[in-house]
Amino acid sequence: MTERFPLSRRSFLATAGATAVTGAIGAPALAQTANKPLKIGMVTSLSGPFTALGESMRAGMQMFLAENGGKLAGRAVELIVEDDQAKPDEGVRKFRKLLGQDNVDIVSGVISSAVALAVRDVVTEAKALTFISAGSANDLARKAASPFVFRPTKTNWMLGHTAGQWAFEKLGKSGCLTIAADYAAGRESVSDFVASYQQQGGKVGKQLWAPLGTTDFGPLLTTIAAERPEFIFSFFAGSDAVRFLRQMREYRLHGKVKLIGSGALFDQEDVVSAVKEAALGGLNTCNQSPTAPSSAAFTKAYQAARNAMPGEMGTAGYVTGQVIKAAVERVQGDLSNKEKVKEALLAKEVETVFGPMPFDPRNNQAILDIYVNEIKEGAGGPVNQVIHTYKAVRDPGPVA
Amino acid sequence: MGFYAVQSLNALSFSMLLLLTGLGLSVVLNLMNFVNLTHGSFFLLGAYVGVYWLASGAPWWLAFPVAFVAAGLAGFLLERFPFRQFYARTHLMQVLLTYGLSVIFADLMRWGFGAQILSAEIPEALRGVVFIMDMPFPIYRLFIIGFGAALAFALWFVIDRTIWGAVVRACVTDRGFVETLGLDTRRIFTAVLVISAGLGGISGALGAGILSAYPGLDEEVLILALIVVVAGGLGTFRGTVLSALLLGFAMTFSKVWVPEFSNVVALAVMAALLVALPEGLVARKVRQV
Amino acid sequence: MSSIADGTGRVEARPASERRSLPMTAKVALLALAAAIPLLFAGDYQLRFLAEILIIGTAVLSLDLLVGFGGLVSLGHAVFFGGAAYAAAIAAQTLGADVVVMLAVGIATGMASALLMGVVVMRTIALFFLILSLIVGQIVWEVVFHWREVTGGADGLRGFPVLTLHTGFATIPLNNGVALYLAALVLALAAYLAARSFVTAPIGRALLGTRERQLRMSALGYSIPRIRLMALLASGAIAGAAGALYPFVNQYVGPNAVHWTMSAMMIIMLVIGGVGSLYGAFIGSAIYLGIQTYVSSYTDRWQLVVGLVFVLTVMIMPKGVVAGLKAAFGRRKDAEGRS
Repeated sequence: MTERFPLSRRSFLATAGATAVTGAIGAPALAQTANKPLKIGMVTSLSGPFTALGESMRAGMQMFLAENGGKLAGRAVELIVEDDQAKPDEGVRKFRKLLGQDNVDIVSGVISSAVALAVRDVVTEAKALTFISAGSANDLARKAASPFVFRPTKTNWMLGHTAGQWAFEKLGKSGCLTIAADYAAGRESVSDFVASYQQQGGKVGKQLWAPLGTTDFGPLLTTIAAERPEFIFSFFAGSDAVRFLRQMREYRLHGKVKLIGSGALFDQEDVVSAVKEAALGGLNTCNQSPTAPSSAAFTKAYQAARNAMPGEMGTAGYVTGQVIKAAVERVQGDLSNKEKVKEALLAKEVETVFGPMPFDPRNNQAILDIYVNEIKEGAGGPVNQVIHTYKAVRDPGPVA
Repeated sequence: MGFYAVQSLNALSFSMLLLLTGLGLSVVLNLMNFVNLTHGSFFLLGAYVGVYWLASGAPWWLAFPVAFVAAGLAGFLLERFPFRQFYARTHLMQVLLTYGLSVIFADLMRWGFGAQILSAEIPEALRGVVFIMDMPFPIYRLFIIGFGAALAFALWFVIDRTIWGAVVRACVTDRGFVETLGLDTRRIFTAVLVISAGLGGISGALGAGILSAYPGLDEEVLILALIVVVAGGLGTFRGTVLSALLLGFAMTFSKVWVPEFSNVVALAVMAALLVALPEGLVARKVRQV
Repeated sequence: MSSIADGTGRVEARPASERRSLPMTAKVALLALAAAIPLLFAGDYQLRFLAEILIIGTAVLSLDLLVGFGGLVSLGHAVFFGGAAYAAAIAAQTLGADVVVMLAVGIATGMASALLMGVVVMRTIALFFLILSLIVGQIVWEVVFHWREVTGGADGLRGFPVLTLHTGFATIPLNNGVALYLAALVLALAAYLAARSFVTAPIGRALLGTRERQLRMSALGYSIPRIRLMALLASGAIAGAAGALYPFVNQYVGPNAVHWTMSAMMIIMLVIGGVGSLYGAFIGSAIYLGIQTYVSSYTDRWQLVVGLVFVLTVMIMPKGVVAGLKAAFGRRKDAEGRS
C-alpha cells in the first residue's frame, strides 16, 4: 500500500522515458518513407498581444491544408500548432519542443520579429527546414539570414522603402511628420521610410515616438494638430493601430491630414474591420492586399470560412502552406536531402496569394510585389484597394 | 496657449478615467480592506458590454447603466463565492486569489468575445470637437470629464455625508459593533462590492470609446488603477483623486515634452512619490500593535 | 517498516512521509539517484527543459526568501534575475562565457540590483512595497526595452559565446542538454543549501521576526531596514546566479526576463509549490512550465488551466501542492492506522 506512490511515479518516468527514446531514435529513420505523415510544426501567438493575428495565421494554414485534402505530395500532413505568447523565450522553448520531441519535418509560423530572431540560432543549429511566415526584422534577411530559413514574407525595409517612394511622388516633397511605436519594428520602418524619402529629396519634419501599448494618443495628436503637417507616415500594429486611428478621428485629424503607413497600420482583418470609417482614405504599403488579383479566390474562400476579409496574417498562414507545398512537391515528398529541397525552392518562383514569389538565393528572402493600398468604401465596409503595385521588390540583403 | 489648454484637458480626461477605475478598487480596499485584482476584468467586461450596446442601436446613454449592472452582477456572484471566504485573510492571500481569478476571467472573456480588437461607436451626439483657441478637443472627452466628476462626487457624497456611508465606514472600524445594532454586515459588504464592480464596468464602457476593448486591456488598466490607489494612500478618497490627477498629468505631459521617455518619466514620478511618502499621498492613521 | 534503510535498493520505494527520518547520506544518495534518472531517459530537448525548470526554480527559491520569510511580496523580482541574465550575456561577448565568470557577474549584478531596489523600497511595506517594486521593475524594463545599443531593445540579445567550464585539464563546452542540466542541477542544489542556511541562521530568524512583529523587533533593537536589506541581498545573489545561466540554455535573452509578468509568474510558481518551503519553488516551476508547455499543445485554453490550478491551490492548499498532498495523504494514513 505504502509503495504505491513511488512505484507509480517510477513507472510513469519509465514510460515517459521510453516514449522519448522511441521519439528520438525511431522517427528520423522512418521519416523518409512516403507513407509516413509529414509533420509540420507551426509556432504562432495564441495568447498575448498578437492573439488575434495568431488565430488568423493558424486559420489560414488550416484552410490551405483542408483545401489540399490534408495531403501534400501524397503524404498525409500532421499540423502541430504551438503558442509562443509573442515572447521570444517561449518561442524558443516551443521550437525546441517541436524539433526535439515532436520531431517535425518542417517548422513554420512566427509573428513577432523578436521571436523570429530568437529562434534563428536554434533552427540553424538543428538545420531544420524553417518557413518564417511573418517576422519582418530586416536583419533576418541580412546578418541573421540562415541557409535553411526561408522567408515567404516581407522585410520592414520593403514597406518603408516603397512608402517613401510613393509619399515623395504623390503626397508631397516636404511637410512630412512621422509617428511610430517605439520598438524595433517601428524604428526600422521609420528609418527605412525616411532614408528613401530623403534620398529623393523629401524633407522630414517632426518625428514622434509613442511607447508600445500607448493607451491615450490625445497628447500626441494635440502636438500633431499644432504642427499642421502635410502628411503623416506612421507605424503602429494591433490595438495601438486601432486606438491611433480612432483617436485621429476623435481629434478631427482624420481626413485633414493624409496618412500613410506600413501594412500593419491598416491590416484588413485586424485593424480596418475594427476602426471602420476611421480608416477611410488611409494609404499603406503592404505585401498583401485582399483586392490583389492573386488574392481573389482566397479572399472569397476566407470570407466564407471566417466571415471576415483576410488580413496579412491569415494570408501569411495560407501562403506559408503554399510555399511548403511547392517545396515538398518539387522533391516528391522526400525531405531527406535539405540541400535539394532548398535548390528546388530557389529554382523557380512560387505562385502565391501574395503574388508571384521568387526567393533570393543570397538569403532565402522572398522577392515580393508590394501593393500600395488605399482604404475605400467597399461592399462590406472599408477595404484595402490596390492603387499601385511595385513589382518584384528585393531587400538589399546581406550586403546592406 | 491653446495648445497647453487642450493638453491640460487631455490630462484631465485621462485622469478621470484613472480616477473612475481607481475609485472602484479603492472603495473595496478602503471600506472592506479587500484587495481585488479582478477589478481589471470588471473594466474589460464593461468595455465589451459598452461596445456591443453602442453597436446595437439601442439608446446610447443606457450603455453605462447596463455596463454597471453587468459588472455589478459579476461582482455579486464573486462576492458570494469565493471573495467572502477571503475577507479575513491577509492581503497576500487576497492578491493571489484575485490575481488567479483575473487570469481565468481574461481567458473566459477571450473565449466569449474573441481575440479581435473591438472599438466602440461613439454616439453621434458626442462625436464632434470643440475648438479651444483654434485647437480641437473631442466632445466625448469633455463628456468623460463631466460624467466622471459627477460620479466621483456622488460617490464621495454617499460615503462621506450620508448615513449609509457612515454605516459602511463603521463596519470597517468595528464589524461586531455594527452587528449588535441589528445591521446585517454581510449584506452591506455585498452592496459595497457590487457598487465597486459596477463602477469598474461603467469606467470600462466609458473608456471603450477611447481605448477600445481587447484581451489584455484588463491587465493594463489594473496596473494603472493599482498604482493610483496605492500611491494615493490606502483608505482615503482625497488621496485617490490627487494621485489619479498626478498620474494622468504626468503621463500626458511626459508625452508632450519627451514622448520617447514618457513611460519612464511617469513611472519615475510615481516611484519618487512613494519613496518620499512610503504610505502614499494621504496616509491613513493606524494604530500599530 | 521504519528500518528498511539497509541499502538493498528498496530505499527509494519508501513513502515520502518517512524520509524525514533517513540519515543524511541516504537522502543525498536518493537525490542523486532521482537526479540521474532524466540523464538515462530524456533527450536533449527534455534535459534543456529540465535545466530551465531548475534555473527558474532557483529564481523562485530566491523569491521565497523575501515572500516566505520576510513577508515582502515583490513584483520587481524579475529585475534581479533578468538583470543578471543581461549582464552575463553582455559580459560574455567580451569576457567569454566561462561559467565561473558568468556566475560571478550574475551574482554581482543580482546583488547590485537588490541593493538599488532595497534603497528605493526600504521604507515601504505590504501593498506599498508591492507597487513600488512593480514600478521600479517597470522602469528597468523600459530602460532595457529602449537601450538598443546595449540590450538589443525589443529584440533582445543572441549570438553570444557558448558557456564553458575551465578545468585544470580541458575546457568543456556546456552547450548540450546533459551539460546544461547538470550545471543547473548544481546551481539549484547550491542555491537550496545557501537559502536554507540563511533562513536557519540568526539573520533568517530575525527576518521572520520582522514579518511577524515589526514593532516589537524594533523595540528589541533590531534594525528592520538592515535585516530586510540583508534578505534582499541574499535573494538578489541567488536570483543573480540563476539569471547568469539562463541566457545560455536558449542562447537568448530578451526584455521579458525583466518584465513584471515574469515576477508575477514567479509568484504563481511559488504559491503553487508552497510559500516558505524552499523546495516548493522547484515544484511550482515544474508544474507551471509543464502546464504552459504541454497543455498549450492541446488547447488554447491553457491560461484557464493555469488560472484554475492557481486559484484552487490558493483556496484548497494555501501551503502549496506538496504540503497539501502530504496533509491529505497523512490524513488517509492516520485513518488506515486507526482502522
